[in-house]
Amino acid sequence: MTTTHSDDSTGTTTVEYAAEQPARLEWAKHAPEVYKAMIRLDTAARQGLDHKLYELVKIRASQINHCAFCIDMHTKDALASGESVERIVQLSAWDESRHFYTAKELAALELTEAVTVLTDGFVPDEVYENAARHFGEAELAQLIAAITVINAWNRFGVTCRMTPGHYQPGQYK
Amino acid sequence: MSALSKAAKQGLGDPALAELVVIRASQLNHCAFCLDMHLALAREHGVSEKQLDLLAAWEEAEDVFDERERAALALTEAVTVLTEGFVPDEVYEQAAKHFDEVRLAHLIGLVVAINNWNRVMVARRIPPGGYTP
Repeated sequence: MTTTHSDDSTGTTTVEYAAEQPARLEWAKHAPEVYKAMIRLDTAARQGLDHKLYELVKIRASQINHCAFCIDMHTKDALASGESVERIVQLSAWDESRHFYTAKELAALELTEAVTVLTDGFVPDEVYENAARHFGEAELAQLIAAITVINAWNRFGVTCRMTPGHYQPGQYK
Repeated sequence: MSALSKAAKQGLGDPALAELVVIRASQLNHCAFCLDMHLALAREHGVSEKQLDLLAAWEEAEDVFDERERAALALTEAVTVLTEGFVPDEVYEQAAKHFDEVRLAHLIGLVVAINNWNRVMVARRIPPGGYTP
């Protein structure tokens, strides 16, 4: 499948993009009980978390884990729920653009990175304690769960090579 | 989370291999609680001491792990360490040679599930040693 995109600014140039790759495996179809458990986990994890913060966490973890499908889905959901383009664009460099985010969001993003990249070390005390300063225990438990769940979706998305680009905001709600 | 692990483990249908996969992911993610728990479970399921000893270096231990186990372990590592790249075609295809689509979907689910537990346990610093089979 070839997608040809025309450049609207000149109306003359056409750019041919690389072919879209098919998904490797329809994992939800082959493991329906696993999928159902994931949906229950996802629903439970998001309870009590601010929606904007939740989407920022989902986008940032998906960036770190390079999950194209998840980035497609969560940037579209974030935009549809009123998030600004600027805050989404700056997210991959949030440490250098802290003034786009609240102190609470920054604490959540720092925790997201530490929990997502376990292979390079543990979750540092200062990161955990900063998150604990901004989130009550129950909310912090939800946040850790939310970070864990997006990591789970990222792993399915990348491994099964779920195809990005076709998601419509709110499609799975 | 328990429902997720249980569904994945059941669908894979190989408790000894499941423990090897889960221990290897827990090694990569440095989850002490998970290692303590699953080393005990692995011994219960009859996984050999030799396999447990050499699991961290399975690639160099060709006589200790068969091809199916090696395909599962290579996939486990690729799915666990997403931050350093994607899941390579050769790793995925090798796994797909040894596991049919249903078992492969559950194997991936199992790697995802233990990655979940690793994250929760490391983030909350749950101490190891408390688990009894």
